[in-house]
Amino acid sequence: MKFGKRLKQQIEETFPTWRDQFLCYKELKKLIKLISSALPIAAEPTKYGKAEAEFVYMLNNKIDKFNTFYMEQEEDFIIRHKELQQRIKRVMDKWSSNGSRTEYNDEMAKIRKDVVDFHGEMVLLENYSNINFTGLAKILKKYDKRTGGLLRLPFIQKVLKQPFFTTDLVSNLVKECENTIDEVLFPIEEDKEETKEQKGAIMVAREPVKGIFRNTVAALLTMEEIRRVSSTKDHFSLPPLNLSHSHLIHSFQLNSPIPIL
Amino acid sequence: MEARPALSIQRSGASQLSNLGVSGGLSSSLSIPSTHLEGTYQKLPDIQQVPSERELTTRPQVHATRVPTNNGVVGHIFSSSSGFSSDLHYSSVLPNEKHSRNSPFISQSPADTASLPLSQSSSSLLPQPTIPSCCNKENSGSWCTDPDFLDFPVSTPVQSGQVENIQRSEDFSKQNDWQEWADQLITCDDALTSNWNELLVDNVTNLEPKMACQVAKPCTTMPTQNQQLPSPSVENLRVVNPSSSANNAPAKPRMRWTPELHEAFVEAVNQLGGSERATPKGVLKLMKVDGLTIYHVKSHLQKYRTARYRPESSEGSSEKKLTSMEEISSLDLKTGMGITEALRLQMEVQKRLHEQLEIQRNLQLRIEEQGRYLQMMFEKQKSGLDKLKVSSSNPENPAATSDATKEAPTKSELESSQRDHLDSGTGTVNNAKSMLERSSREMGGEDMATEAGDLEKTKARVSETSPELAAKRSRIEE
Repeated sequence: MKFGKRLKQQIEETFPTWRDQFLCYKELKKLIKLISSALPIAAEPTKYGKAEAEFVYMLNNKIDKFNTFYMEQEEDFIIRHKELQQRIKRVMDKWSSNGSRTEYNDEMAKIRKDVVDFHGEMVLLENYSNINFTGLAKILKKYDKRTGGLLRLPFIQKVLKQPFFTTDLVSNLVKECENTIDEVLFPIEEDKEETKEQKGAIMVAREPVKGIFRNTVAALLTMEEIRRVSSTKDHFSLPPLNLSHSHLIHSFQLNSPIPIL
Repeated sequence: MEARPALSIQRSGASQLSNLGVSGGLSSSLSIPSTHLEGTYQKLPDIQQVPSERELTTRPQVHATRVPTNNGVVGHIFSSSSGFSSDLHYSSVLPNEKHSRNSPFISQSPADTASLPLSQSSSSLLPQPTIPSCCNKENSGSWCTDPDFLDFPVSTPVQSGQVENIQRSEDFSKQNDWQEWADQLITCDDALTSNWNELLVDNVTNLEPKMACQVAKPCTTMPTQNQQLPSPSVENLRVVNPSSSANNAPAKPRMRWTPELHEAFVEAVNQLGGSERATPKGVLKLMKVDGLTIYHVKSHLQKYRTARYRPESSEGSSEKKLTSMEEISSLDLKTGMGITEALRLQMEVQKRLHEQLEIQRNLQLRIEEQGRYLQMMFEKQKSGLDKLKVSSSNPENPAATSDATKEAPTKSELESSQRDHLDSGTGTVNNAKSMLERSSREMGGEDMATEAGDLEKTKARVSETSPELAAKRSRIEE
């Protein structure tokens, strides 16, 4: 149940629109319980086969959901990425040569913020993909264990190829983002010190915080928790996660104002 | 047949249906036949929970719960799942059909659907080889008993084309071709495409996606034992639910956009005078990409337009905005440092998460690969041993197994020593060790041990030296 709890936590921390896009781990567990208690495999192979088909059907449904959501987000990211790049180019062309320095800085600050947020969202999508995959792997393992089936291995092989798990594209976008930030955006910081506090105040006032920072922190911590040594570890399990500065990250953990049931 | 009386009741029940999409009516009609076909249907106590969780597509299962029958055993679901299994067979057929018409992009998504375990072939549906045949028998048995399911959609006010489809397939059944037809559907791909083409009388709009939509419908209504809505299999194809009217959004097989494709899109849009003035049709023509439909372009254009306007107003996506209270509280930590520092911090944390995710994903891939390899070895060894048992006399067998056992202790020692670095609890070590021992004994392959060793080393590396993430990544990727 540990993973179930962690998953629930993660879902609570995530964006509202993403909340029902995650794996319904609990439901699947219940289904497994039903299947295993009702149908010992030896007794009625045909019924068992149907039960398994049912289970697989549910899983496939989930996978379809993941895929759709993921590809939708991916498409959005591709568009936004291009837009951000164009914005950067525009601002650089427009202001860097002539024009007031402050306006240039303003624009760049905005772009900087947007790029960082964009990066954050992409990473969170990757996290989404990973958590759902982990959930699937776990639920399959449970299934095999409780019902003595052999579903896990072939099924997981198929899952590995699914769009929602082949995150290479998003990963590349993330890396590109990081490069952009490192090379283009942050080096421009140097002569801005005097207006930093000012800017800070302004930005705070109208910053549309998407909770990205909070989500990222939560995601990291959840990952750490999930990978702690568990009782059912086998050679399919992931090793514990060693997060450096994990105390620092823990201190960022912000309480959700409204508990979500 | 005993099912006959049930079917007549069902037919009368069918007339009460107003819409295929309405599942409520179905349940009342379903409850009657179930009492006749006892043993097949049984109550599933908890299934009520599931539909609330699921989408429209899974509504057929709701019917199961209202079936008043013997208690305790998981039931109706499973008989209906035989319908599902055949549905999913069909979904494997359809992507193939579509594939011939569509581009690599689109075929990617149906192919993905097809790659899901159920869709490839009847044998891959269920791991145990005996079961598919049972399932098939069940299916065909059920079809034989319920040929009049086809009446169902006829009475509902659905698109005329579909009605004709159903009627045509009804003819099929009346010719008692059920068995052969069912077999064809499940096994053969190419033969089927011609079958489908015969089946489809497209009076309705003849857009390609629509065709796919139509194709989906009849196939799902055929084999289902208990009036499964067409939506399950349709959803499998990621086709928009056809229970809505004919004019509604037709099939939209999910398309996976790439940056390159997007570049081409942007160029086309710019050529046409900007995102406002460009029309989907124009863009489609300019892009000249195979398999790209106007619906893809339309939706993409919409997204593109909203994305362009967002930076103008410098607002984030509204649904992701928190309330101002939350904003302030979450920013408290950051304001102390000034905005750029806050951004840097955010960036750092994000980078960290990203790296960890990459590592985790690679690890997961390797683990599964490992598992697959082990499985392969196991099967190879098993088949080898079987052959040995079959062909040879007794003396050879003990020799083979004793060799394996001799190798096993040394290998497991090696692995366990590596595992000790990894695991903290002795319980887990013993578990893993015994598992590996068993499998290595059975396999007796040396390669497996080295593979396992490699993986363990990788895991150990990952867990021990996480801070050096960059170095980590390069080593793992070797």
